[in-house]
Amino acid sequence: MGIHSVGTSDAALVRRVQAGDTGAYADLVGRYRDRLGRYALHMLGNREDAEEVLQDAFVRAYRSLARCDDPERFGAWLYGILVNRCRTAGARAARRARRFVHDPAALETAPLAGPDERTEWDDMVRWALARLPPESREAFLLKHVEDLEYEDMARLTGAGVSALKMRVKRAREQLQVMLKEAERV
Amino acid sequence: MFEPMDDAIERIARHLRRPVHIDPALDGRVMREITALPARAGARSLGAAWRWVRRPRQFTLTPLGGLAAAAALATVVVLSRMDSGSSVPPPAESRVFQFVLVAPRATQVSLVGDFNDWDATRTPMRRARSEALWTAVVPLTPGRYHYAFLVDGSRWMADPTAPVARDEDYGTPSSVLTVGGGGS
Repeated sequence: MGIHSVGTSDAALVRRVQAGDTGAYADLVGRYRDRLGRYALHMLGNREDAEEVLQDAFVRAYRSLARCDDPERFGAWLYGILVNRCRTAGARAARRARRFVHDPAALETAPLAGPDERTEWDDMVRWALARLPPESREAFLLKHVEDLEYEDMARLTGAGVSALKMRVKRAREQLQVMLKEAERV
Repeated sequence: MFEPMDDAIERIARHLRRPVHIDPALDGRVMREITALPARAGARSLGAAWRWVRRPRQFTLTPLGGLAAAAALATVVVLSRMDSGSSVPPPAESRVFQFVLVAPRATQVSLVGDFNDWDATRTPMRRARSEALWTAVVPLTPGRYHYAFLVDGSRWMADPTAPVARDEDYGTPSSVLTVGGGGS
Protein backbone atom coordinates (compact mmCIF):
# COMPACT_ATOMS: atom_id res chain seq x y z
CA MET A 1 0.00 0.00 0.00
CA GLY A 2 1.06 3.56 -0.53
CA ILE A 3 0.29 4.52 3.04
CA HIS A 4 3.14 4.78 5.48
CA SER A 5 3.37 5.14 9.21
CA VAL A 6 5.43 7.73 11.06
CA GLY A 7 6.32 7.86 14.75
CA THR A 8 4.20 5.53 16.88
CA SER A 9 3.08 2.69 14.66
CA ASP A 10 -0.51 2.38 13.52
CA ALA A 11 -0.67 -1.00 15.19
CA ALA A 12 0.36 0.44 18.56
CA LEU A 13 -2.28 3.18 18.30
CA VAL A 14 -4.96 0.72 17.21
CA ARG A 15 -4.18 -1.54 20.16
CA ARG A 16 -4.39 1.42 22.55
CA VAL A 17 -7.82 2.32 21.17
CA GLN A 18 -8.94 -1.29 21.36
CA ALA A 19 -7.79 -1.33 24.99
CA GLY A 20 -10.02 1.63 25.77
CA ASP A 21 -7.80 4.68 25.10
CA THR A 22 -10.20 6.39 22.71
CA GLY A 23 -8.06 9.50 22.72
CA ALA A 24 -5.39 7.61 20.78
CA TYR A 25 -7.82 7.48 17.86
CA ALA A 26 -7.31 11.21 17.38
CA ASP A 27 -3.70 10.49 16.42
CA LEU A 28 -4.87 8.06 13.74
CA VAL A 29 -7.40 10.57 12.44
CA GLY A 30 -4.76 13.29 12.24
CA ARG A 31 -2.36 10.91 10.53
CA TYR A 32 -4.74 9.90 7.75
CA ARG A 33 -6.93 13.00 7.42
CA ASP A 34 -5.19 14.72 4.51
CA ARG A 35 -4.20 11.57 2.65
CA LEU A 36 -7.66 10.06 2.65
CA GLY A 37 -9.20 13.48 2.16
CA ARG A 38 -7.35 13.82 -1.12
CA TYR A 39 -8.87 10.64 -2.48
CA ALA A 40 -12.38 11.62 -1.32
CA LEU A 41 -12.02 15.10 -2.78
CA HIS A 42 -10.89 13.84 -6.18
CA MET A 43 -13.49 11.07 -6.19
CA LEU A 44 -16.44 13.28 -5.24
CA GLY A 45 -15.26 16.59 -6.70
CA ASN A 46 -16.68 18.56 -3.80
CA ARG A 47 -14.93 19.50 -0.56
CA GLU A 48 -18.08 19.57 1.54
CA ASP A 49 -19.10 16.07 0.45
CA ALA A 50 -15.52 14.83 0.81
CA GLU A 51 -15.25 16.02 4.42
CA GLU A 52 -18.63 14.52 5.26
CA VAL A 53 -17.64 11.15 3.80
CA LEU A 54 -14.25 11.29 5.47
CA GLN A 55 -15.80 11.96 8.88
CA ASP A 56 -18.25 9.13 8.32
CA ALA A 57 -15.44 6.75 7.34
CA PHE A 58 -13.43 7.58 10.46
CA VAL A 59 -16.44 7.06 12.72
CA ARG A 60 -17.39 3.79 11.01
CA ALA A 61 -13.81 2.57 11.27
CA TYR A 62 -13.82 3.34 14.99
CA ARG A 63 -17.07 1.45 15.50
CA SER A 64 -15.69 -1.57 13.62
CA LEU A 65 -12.18 -1.46 15.01
CA ALA A 66 -12.67 -4.80 16.72
CA ARG A 67 -12.95 -6.27 13.21
CA CYS A 68 -9.59 -4.88 12.13
CA ASP A 69 -7.79 -8.22 12.17
CA ASP A 70 -4.39 -6.88 11.25
CA PRO A 71 -3.63 -3.58 13.05
CA GLU A 72 -0.39 -3.36 11.07
CA ARG A 73 -2.52 -2.82 7.98
CA PHE A 74 -4.91 -0.33 9.58
CA GLY A 75 -4.26 2.17 6.76
CA ALA A 76 -5.30 -0.27 4.05
CA TRP A 77 -8.34 -1.35 6.06
CA LEU A 78 -9.40 2.26 6.64
CA TYR A 79 -8.87 2.98 2.96
CA GLY A 80 -11.29 0.22 2.05
CA ILE A 81 -13.98 1.78 4.24
CA LEU A 82 -13.43 5.16 2.61
CA VAL A 83 -13.62 3.72 -0.91
CA ASN A 84 -16.99 2.17 -0.07
CA ARG A 85 -18.32 5.35 1.53
CA CYS A 86 -17.28 7.34 -1.56
CA ARG A 87 -19.19 4.91 -3.76
CA THR A 88 -22.31 5.31 -1.64
CA ALA A 89 -21.99 9.09 -1.49
CA GLY A 90 -21.39 9.30 -5.24
CA ALA A 91 -24.56 7.35 -5.95
CA ARG A 92 -26.52 9.50 -3.48
CA ALA A 93 -25.21 12.72 -5.02
CA ALA A 94 -26.34 11.56 -8.44
CA ARG A 95 -29.87 11.15 -7.11
CA ARG A 96 -29.91 14.36 -5.12
CA ALA A 97 -32.23 17.02 -6.47
CA ARG A 98 -30.40 20.25 -7.19
CA ARG A 99 -31.73 23.75 -7.45
CA PHE A 100 -29.63 26.44 -9.02
CA VAL A 101 -30.24 30.09 -8.49
CA HIS A 102 -28.78 32.71 -10.70
CA ASP A 103 -27.96 36.28 -9.71
CA PRO A 104 -27.44 38.11 -13.03
CA ALA A 105 -26.44 41.35 -11.31
CA ALA A 106 -23.79 39.61 -9.30
CA LEU A 107 -22.48 37.76 -12.34
CA GLU A 108 -22.09 40.98 -14.29
CA THR A 109 -19.83 42.41 -11.64
CA ALA A 110 -17.90 39.20 -10.97
CA PRO A 111 -14.24 39.41 -11.93
CA LEU A 112 -13.33 37.48 -15.05
CA ALA A 113 -10.89 34.63 -14.70
CA GLY A 114 -7.38 35.82 -15.40
CA PRO A 115 -4.89 34.04 -17.63
CA ASP A 116 -3.73 31.88 -14.77
CA GLU A 117 -2.58 28.69 -16.47
CA ARG A 118 -2.38 26.79 -13.22
CA THR A 119 -6.02 27.51 -12.42
CA GLU A 120 -7.05 26.66 -15.97
CA TRP A 121 -5.19 23.36 -15.77
CA ASP A 122 -6.72 22.60 -12.38
CA ASP A 123 -10.21 23.34 -13.72
CA MET A 124 -9.56 21.21 -16.79
CA VAL A 125 -8.33 18.23 -14.76
CA ARG A 126 -11.28 18.42 -12.37
CA TRP A 127 -13.67 18.79 -15.29
CA ALA A 128 -12.24 15.75 -17.04
CA LEU A 129 -12.07 13.66 -13.87
CA ALA A 130 -15.69 14.41 -13.03
CA ARG A 131 -16.77 13.12 -16.44
CA LEU A 132 -15.20 9.72 -16.03
CA PRO A 133 -17.57 6.91 -15.02
CA PRO A 134 -17.21 6.39 -11.23
CA GLU A 135 -15.60 2.96 -11.63
CA SER A 136 -12.99 4.34 -14.03
CA ARG A 137 -12.34 7.39 -11.85
CA GLU A 138 -11.92 5.15 -8.81
CA ALA A 139 -9.50 2.83 -10.61
CA PHE A 140 -7.49 5.71 -12.09
CA LEU A 141 -7.11 7.48 -8.74
CA LEU A 142 -6.13 4.32 -6.88
CA LYS A 143 -3.58 3.34 -9.52
CA HIS A 144 -2.04 6.62 -10.65
CA VAL A 145 -2.61 8.96 -7.71
CA GLU A 146 -2.55 6.68 -4.68
CA ASP A 147 0.03 4.48 -6.37
CA LEU A 148 -1.47 1.15 -5.37
CA GLU A 149 -0.66 -2.23 -6.88
CA TYR A 150 -3.47 -3.96 -8.77
CA GLU A 151 -3.61 -6.71 -6.15
CA ASP A 152 -4.21 -4.11 -3.40
CA MET A 153 -6.80 -2.37 -5.57
CA ALA A 154 -8.59 -5.69 -6.05
CA ARG A 155 -8.72 -6.22 -2.28
CA LEU A 156 -10.09 -2.71 -1.75
CA THR A 157 -12.67 -2.66 -4.48
CA GLY A 158 -13.70 -6.29 -4.77
CA ALA A 159 -13.11 -6.15 -8.53
CA GLY A 160 -10.80 -8.50 -10.39
CA VAL A 161 -7.33 -7.45 -11.48
CA SER A 162 -8.21 -7.78 -15.18
CA ALA A 163 -11.30 -5.61 -14.77
CA LEU A 164 -9.29 -3.00 -12.90
CA LYS A 165 -6.61 -2.93 -15.59
CA MET A 166 -9.32 -2.39 -18.18
CA ARG A 167 -10.89 0.44 -16.16
CA VAL A 168 -7.54 2.18 -15.77
CA LYS A 169 -6.84 1.81 -19.48
CA ARG A 170 -10.25 3.25 -20.39
CA ALA A 171 -9.81 6.09 -17.94
CA ARG A 172 -6.46 7.03 -19.46
CA GLU A 173 -7.92 6.96 -22.97
CA GLN A 174 -10.95 9.01 -21.99
CA LEU A 175 -8.86 11.56 -20.14
CA GLN A 176 -6.59 11.97 -23.11
CA VAL A 177 -9.53 12.51 -25.46
CA MET A 178 -11.16 15.03 -23.11
CA LEU A 179 -7.96 16.98 -22.63
CA LYS A 180 -7.40 17.17 -26.38
CA GLU A 181 -10.96 18.46 -26.81
CA ALA A 182 -10.46 21.02 -24.06
CA GLU A 183 -7.21 22.26 -25.58
CA ARG A 184 -8.90 22.79 -28.95
CA VAL A 185 -11.50 25.16 -27.42
CA MET B 1 -0.15 21.60 -28.16
CA PHE B 2 0.63 17.90 -28.55
CA GLU B 3 1.77 15.64 -25.75
CA PRO B 4 2.33 11.89 -25.95
CA MET B 5 -0.38 10.05 -24.05
CA ASP B 6 1.81 8.93 -21.18
CA ASP B 7 3.16 12.43 -20.60
CA ALA B 8 -0.34 13.89 -20.45
CA ILE B 9 -1.53 11.21 -18.03
CA GLU B 10 1.59 11.58 -15.92
CA ARG B 11 1.00 15.34 -15.78
CA ILE B 12 -2.57 14.79 -14.58
CA ALA B 13 -1.45 12.26 -11.99
CA ARG B 14 1.29 14.61 -10.73
CA HIS B 15 -1.28 17.37 -10.41
CA LEU B 16 -3.69 15.15 -8.48
CA ARG B 17 -0.92 13.85 -6.19
CA ARG B 18 -0.36 17.32 -4.74
CA PRO B 19 -1.11 17.40 -1.00
CA VAL B 20 -4.64 18.30 -0.04
CA HIS B 21 -5.29 19.96 3.30
CA ILE B 22 -8.49 19.02 5.06
CA ASP B 23 -9.76 21.28 7.84
CA PRO B 24 -8.14 19.97 11.08
CA ALA B 25 -11.43 20.79 12.83
CA LEU B 26 -12.59 17.48 11.33
CA ASP B 27 -10.56 15.68 14.04
CA GLY B 28 -12.65 17.34 16.73
CA ARG B 29 -15.90 16.52 14.93
CA VAL B 30 -14.89 12.86 14.64
CA MET B 31 -13.92 12.70 18.32
CA ARG B 32 -17.14 14.40 19.40
CA GLU B 33 -19.16 11.91 17.36
CA ILE B 34 -17.21 9.02 18.82
CA THR B 35 -17.73 10.38 22.31
CA ALA B 36 -21.47 10.40 21.69
CA LEU B 37 -21.45 6.71 20.70
CA PRO B 38 -22.45 4.05 23.21
CA ALA B 39 -19.29 2.95 25.03
CA ARG B 40 -17.70 0.12 23.11
CA ALA B 41 -15.01 -0.67 25.63
CA GLY B 42 -16.51 0.53 28.84
CA ALA B 43 -16.85 3.94 30.40
CA ARG B 44 -13.13 4.54 30.29
CA SER B 45 -13.36 4.97 26.46
CA LEU B 46 -15.69 7.89 26.88
CA GLY B 47 -13.51 9.26 29.60
CA ALA B 48 -10.43 9.08 27.40
CA ALA B 49 -12.17 10.82 24.48
CA TRP B 50 -13.50 13.50 26.76
CA ARG B 51 -10.03 13.95 28.24
CA TRP B 52 -8.68 14.35 24.69
CA VAL B 53 -11.23 17.05 23.92
CA ARG B 54 -10.52 18.89 27.15
CA ARG B 55 -6.77 18.26 27.29
CA PRO B 56 -4.91 21.56 27.88
CA ARG B 57 -2.64 22.42 24.98
CA GLN B 58 0.11 24.99 24.71
CA PHE B 59 0.43 26.93 21.46
CA THR B 60 2.93 29.49 20.30
CA LEU B 61 1.27 31.85 17.85
CA THR B 62 2.70 34.52 15.63
CA PRO B 63 0.34 37.48 14.99
CA LEU B 64 -0.58 35.91 11.63
CA GLY B 65 -1.07 32.55 13.31
CA GLY B 66 -3.36 34.20 15.84
CA LEU B 67 -5.57 35.48 13.06
CA ALA B 68 -5.69 32.02 11.48
CA ALA B 69 -6.59 30.46 14.83
CA ALA B 70 -9.39 32.98 15.31
CA ALA B 71 -10.74 32.16 11.84
CA ALA B 72 -10.56 28.43 12.59
CA LEU B 73 -12.43 28.93 15.83
CA ALA B 74 -15.17 30.81 14.07
CA THR B 75 -15.41 27.96 11.58
CA VAL B 76 -15.72 25.40 14.35
CA VAL B 77 -18.47 27.40 16.02
CA VAL B 78 -20.42 27.69 12.81
CA LEU B 79 -19.94 24.03 11.97
CA SER B 80 -20.92 23.05 15.46
CA ARG B 81 -24.17 24.95 15.15
CA MET B 82 -24.80 23.43 11.76
CA ASP B 83 -23.99 19.98 13.08
CA SER B 84 -26.43 20.36 15.92
CA GLY B 85 -29.08 21.38 13.43
CA SER B 86 -28.41 18.53 11.06
CA SER B 87 -28.15 15.91 13.79
CA VAL B 88 -31.92 15.68 13.83
CA PRO B 89 -32.76 12.81 11.48
CA PRO B 90 -34.79 13.98 8.51
CA PRO B 91 -38.42 12.89 8.65
CA ALA B 92 -39.47 9.84 6.67
CA GLU B 93 -40.31 10.52 3.01
CA SER B 94 -38.11 13.61 2.98
CA ARG B 95 -35.89 14.36 0.01
CA VAL B 96 -32.72 16.36 0.13
CA PHE B 97 -32.54 19.58 -1.88
CA GLN B 98 -29.41 21.57 -2.49
CA PHE B 99 -29.95 25.28 -2.94
CA VAL B 100 -27.20 27.14 -4.75
CA LEU B 101 -26.81 30.89 -5.02
CA VAL B 102 -24.31 32.71 -7.21
CA ALA B 103 -23.28 35.79 -5.27
CA PRO B 104 -19.54 36.50 -5.44
CA ARG B 105 -19.73 39.79 -3.55
CA ALA B 106 -21.84 38.57 -0.65
CA THR B 107 -20.24 38.14 2.75
CA GLN B 108 -23.04 36.05 4.23
CA VAL B 109 -26.15 34.38 2.87
CA SER B 110 -29.00 32.62 4.62
CA LEU B 111 -31.70 30.42 3.17
CA VAL B 112 -35.06 31.29 4.69
CA GLY B 113 -38.47 29.79 4.10
CA ASP B 114 -41.47 27.97 5.47
CA PHE B 115 -39.23 25.01 6.31
CA ASN B 116 -37.22 26.99 8.90
CA ASP B 117 -39.84 29.50 10.04
CA TRP B 118 -38.05 32.21 8.04
CA ASP B 119 -35.36 32.26 10.68
CA ALA B 120 -32.17 33.62 9.11
CA THR B 121 -30.00 31.98 11.74
CA ARG B 122 -31.14 28.43 11.10
CA THR B 123 -29.89 27.73 7.59
CA PRO B 124 -26.74 29.71 6.86
CA MET B 125 -25.43 28.95 3.39
CA ARG B 126 -21.84 27.85 2.96
CA ARG B 127 -19.46 29.41 0.49
CA ALA B 128 -18.19 26.84 -1.98
CA ARG B 129 -14.62 26.56 -3.10
CA SER B 130 -15.19 28.79 -6.11
CA GLU B 131 -16.14 31.59 -3.66
CA ALA B 132 -18.93 32.73 -5.96
CA LEU B 133 -21.26 29.91 -5.00
CA TRP B 134 -23.20 29.58 -1.77
CA THR B 135 -24.89 26.29 -0.95
CA ALA B 136 -27.26 24.85 1.60
CA VAL B 137 -28.76 21.38 1.81
CA VAL B 138 -32.23 20.98 3.29
CA PRO B 139 -34.35 17.84 3.69
CA LEU B 140 -37.96 18.53 2.71
CA THR B 141 -41.06 16.41 3.02
CA PRO B 142 -43.70 16.60 0.28
CA GLY B 143 -45.48 19.95 0.33
CA ARG B 144 -45.42 23.51 -0.96
CA TYR B 145 -42.81 25.89 0.41
CA HIS B 146 -42.16 29.60 0.05
CA TYR B 147 -38.49 30.53 0.28
CA ALA B 148 -35.99 33.28 -0.41
CA PHE B 149 -32.36 34.20 0.14
CA LEU B 150 -31.22 36.81 2.61
CA VAL B 151 -27.95 38.31 1.43
CA ASP B 152 -25.72 40.17 3.89
CA GLY B 153 -28.54 40.30 6.37
CA SER B 154 -30.64 42.84 4.48
CA ARG B 155 -31.11 42.03 0.80
CA TRP B 156 -33.93 39.64 -0.05
CA MET B 157 -33.71 37.65 -3.26
CA ALA B 158 -36.25 35.39 -4.88
CA ASP B 159 -35.29 32.54 -7.16
CA PRO B 160 -35.66 33.82 -10.75
CA THR B 161 -35.90 30.28 -12.07
CA ALA B 162 -38.80 29.33 -9.79
CA PRO B 163 -42.40 30.52 -9.66
CA VAL B 164 -42.77 33.81 -7.81
CA ALA B 165 -44.89 33.73 -4.67
CA ARG B 166 -47.77 36.14 -4.26
CA ASP B 167 -46.67 37.52 -0.95
CA GLU B 168 -48.67 40.64 -0.26
CA ASP B 169 -48.33 40.08 3.47
CA TYR B 170 -44.65 40.83 3.68
CA GLY B 171 -43.85 42.77 0.53
CA THR B 172 -40.59 40.90 -0.02
CA PRO B 173 -39.77 38.72 -3.01
CA SER B 174 -39.97 34.98 -2.52
CA SER B 175 -40.32 31.84 -4.59
CA VAL B 176 -42.33 28.65 -4.43
CA LEU B 177 -41.02 25.12 -4.38
CA THR B 178 -43.40 22.19 -4.60
CA VAL B 179 -42.06 18.84 -3.45
CA GLY B 180 -44.05 15.93 -4.75
CA GLY B 181 -44.50 12.61 -3.03
CA GLY B 182 -42.84 10.49 -5.70
CA GLY B 183 -40.74 13.18 -7.40
CA SER B 184 -40.89 16.94 -7.90
